[in-house]
Amino acid sequence: MKKRWLSVLLTLVLGASLLSGCGNSGSAPAGENSQRTEEASEPAESGEAAESTEKTGGGEVLEFYHGYYHDESEWPAAKVMRDIYDDFAAAHADGPVTFKPIPVENRGEIVSAQVAGGNFPDVVDVDGTVPQAAISQGLVMDLKPYIDENGLQDAVGLNYTQNQVDGHIYTVHDQIESRGMWYNTAVLESAGVKAEDIKSWDDFGAAMDKVNGLGDGSYGYIAGQGSLFMMNAMLAQTEAGQALIAGELTQETIESAEFEEAFKAAATFDQNNGSDHTTDNIGNLMDDFNKKGTVGALFNGVWNASGIDATLEDAIQPSLFPGNTAIASAGGGISISSGMDEAKTELALEFLAYMVSPEVQERIFIGVQAAPCNAGVDLQALAESEGSENPILIKLADACSQIKGAENVVINVNYTWGGDVGNSIINAFMECAVSGADIDARFEQLKQELTALIA
Amino acid sequence: MLKESKTSFRRGGTGWKRNGFILAFLAPTLAAFAIFYLYPIVTVIFTSFCKWDYTNINSPEFWGFKELWNNYQYIFKTYPYFWEALRNSSLWALLGIVVQIPAATVVALAFSRKIKGVKLIRNIYIIPNMISTAAMGMIFLQLYSPLYGIVNPVIRVFNRDFKENILLLKGPAFWAMTCAYIFFTGTTTLLILGNIMAVPEDVREAAVLDGADGLRQDWYITLPMIKGTLKTVSILAATSGFLLYNEVYFLTKGAAGTYSISYVIRELAITSPRTQFGRANTVAVVQILAGMVIIILVNGLYSISFKKKKGEGR
Repeated sequence: MKKRWLSVLLTLVLGASLLSGCGNSGSAPAGENSQRTEEASEPAESGEAAESTEKTGGGEVLEFYHGYYHDESEWPAAKVMRDIYDDFAAAHADGPVTFKPIPVENRGEIVSAQVAGGNFPDVVDVDGTVPQAAISQGLVMDLKPYIDENGLQDAVGLNYTQNQVDGHIYTVHDQIESRGMWYNTAVLESAGVKAEDIKSWDDFGAAMDKVNGLGDGSYGYIAGQGSLFMMNAMLAQTEAGQALIAGELTQETIESAEFEEAFKAAATFDQNNGSDHTTDNIGNLMDDFNKKGTVGALFNGVWNASGIDATLEDAIQPSLFPGNTAIASAGGGISISSGMDEAKTELALEFLAYMVSPEVQERIFIGVQAAPCNAGVDLQALAESEGSENPILIKLADACSQIKGAENVVINVNYTWGGDVGNSIINAFMECAVSGADIDARFEQLKQELTALIA
Repeated sequence: MLKESKTSFRRGGTGWKRNGFILAFLAPTLAAFAIFYLYPIVTVIFTSFCKWDYTNINSPEFWGFKELWNNYQYIFKTYPYFWEALRNSSLWALLGIVVQIPAATVVALAFSRKIKGVKLIRNIYIIPNMISTAAMGMIFLQLYSPLYGIVNPVIRVFNRDFKENILLLKGPAFWAMTCAYIFFTGTTTLLILGNIMAVPEDVREAAVLDGADGLRQDWYITLPMIKGTLKTVSILAATSGFLLYNEVYFLTKGAAGTYSISYVIRELAITSPRTQFGRANTVAVVQILAGMVIIILVNGLYSISFKKKKGEGR
C-alpha cells in the first residue's frame, strides 16, 4: 500500500515537472516577437510597465548596471565614471524617478540571465554586444528615434553608423574602443629601426625580426590576442577585406583569399616572434611593454596612454597600424529596456543624452583617459588647455586624432564575427606561434572549426 | 463477519494515518527533489531536443520527431570541439581515480601515523585547498610563463634551447593543465584520514597479534575497512575531473587541444553570439549521462577489486 502511494506521488511529481518543463516550449502566439520588436521603440503601456516598475519609498527607481566597480586605488578611472553617474543621480534625487547606479563585476552574465528570462535591466552599460536574443524579443529600446529627434547624431559619433541594426540603434557607448599601435622607439632604435619607417606590414615584420634578434631579452610584440587585431588591420587594407570585416562571418569569408592571406601573414609573424611571447590576454604581458620597456610594439587601444610608466613616457608613442589603418568600434554601451513606463523611460533617455554631452565627454577624456564618442569634442585643444605638462593626455589626444584621421577605419571583428569565432582564431594563432608549427595545416583546421561554428 | 469487516476498516484507517504521516514528512524532500533536481534535469533533457537559441530564447521549440536528433547530430558530427572535450574530460575523470585517490590515500595513511609534528603538517597540507581554483589557475599561469615562470628553466636543464610556451604545445599542454589541479587533494585526504582514524583500535591490535604490521596492516586491514569512503571520494574526484572548467578558462581557453565539456557548454551558451542553449543542453545531457556512467564504473571497479582482495586475504 505504502509503495503504491509513493509511486503514485512520484508519478505525479514527475508528470508535473514534465508539464512545467514543456510549458515554456509552447510556441508563442504568432507574431508576438515581431510585435514586441515593433513596440520596442515606444514606451510600454501602463499595464506591462507596472510589472517592471520598482517602487522604493513611494518613488520609482531607475536601476543602472555598469562595470566600474573597481576601487580607486586599483583603477582611478572607475571612480571618475562612478562620480559621473553619481552626479546624475544627485541631480534627480528629488524627482519622481530616482537614478540608482549599480556597479557589478558580471554585467554580461546579469544581462544574459535576464534576457533568458524574457527581461532586460532598466539601463545597462552592456559589456560587448547587446545579445541578439534581447533584440529579437524586443526587450531593448531602439534609441535612434530619440537620437534623431534631439539632433544627437554627432554626440553619439561612431555609434550612429556602426551600431545601426536594420535601421535601429540598440546601444550607445559613451567611449569608443579605438585601437592602433604603440611603439617603444628606444627598443626599435636599438634594433636600428625608426618607427616612422614602418609603413607596410612587410616593414613591420622586418622590424620585429630585428628586435627579436637583439638577444637582450627584448622581443617584437605580444602575440595571441594581439594577433587577431593584427589580422583585423591587415584585412582592412583592401575593400574586399573591409567588406568581410563589416558583416557576419560567412562561408564565403572563411573561404576567401583575403582571410587566408591575412591569417597566414599574421601567423608567420607570430611564429617568428615566438610562442614565449604569446597569450590569449594581452594584459598578461602588458607590463613588459608599459613598465619594463622590453617590447617593441603593442596592439592596444588609445587608453594605453594611461598605463605608460613615467620612465618610458618619452620612448613610447602611438601610431596607426601599417597601411594607415585603425580599428575603431563603438561596441556595447548604454542600452535601455523597452518595458518601462513613461517616467522611467524619460529619465533613461535623459541619462543617455547626459552621457554623450560635451561636459561629460570631456570628463571621460580627461579623467578616464578614454576616447570619447562625441565627435564634436576637440581633444587636442582639450589636452593643451589641461596643461601641456600632462604627457598622458597629450599622448591620448595624439592617439585619438591619429585614429580619427586614419585612411582605413574598421570595426573589431569580435563585434561582427562573434566572441566564439574570435576565440577560435586566437587559439589557432597561439598554436601557430610554436616553432615548426604547420601554419597551412592549422589554417585548414581553423576553416573547419569556423564552418562548424557558424552552422 | 461484521466484526471482521470492522477490524479491517480500523486497520485501513490506521494505515491511512500512517501513510499520511509518511507523506507529510516526505513531501518537503520530494518537493525539493522535484524542484531543484528533477525539473532542471527534465528541462535539460527536453530542451536538448529543441531549437533554442537567440531567435526564440523564451520559447524553445521542439524539433519534432523527424528532426529529433538535430542538436545531437550537430554536436556529434559538426561541432569541432566536442570529441576533444569529451576525451579530455574523460581522461581527467580517470586521472582523478588513478592518480588523485592513491595520492590522497598514501598521504592520509602517512598522516594517520603518530609522529611528532604531524598535526602541523596536516594543517599546512590543507592550505592550498582554501585557494579558489580560479586563483590557482592564475598561479599556474605564472608558473608556466615562458618569460618568468619556473617550469621553463627546469626544462632548459635538459634542453638548453627550449623557449616555447608549454601551454601551447599539444600534449604537454594537457598534462600541464592536469598538474594544475590533480595534486590538490586536501579535502579528499581529510575525508580518508577521518575514516582511517575511525578504524577501531582493537582491530588494529588484533592485526598486530596476527603479524600484520605497518604497510601489511594498511593493505589488509585499513584499506578494506575504508573502502566505502574510498569509493565515495573516487566518485567525487572523477566527477570533479570530468567537470573541469576554471583551469581551462584561465590557462588556455581551449588552445592546444585542451577543451573540456564544461568549457564547451559555456562556449555554446554564453560566448557564442547565437546563444545556443539547445545545443549547450545537448552537451549537458552527455555530461549527465557520463556522470552516471562514472558512478556505475567506480562502483563496479570497487566491488571487483575488493572481492579480489577478500579472496587474496583468505
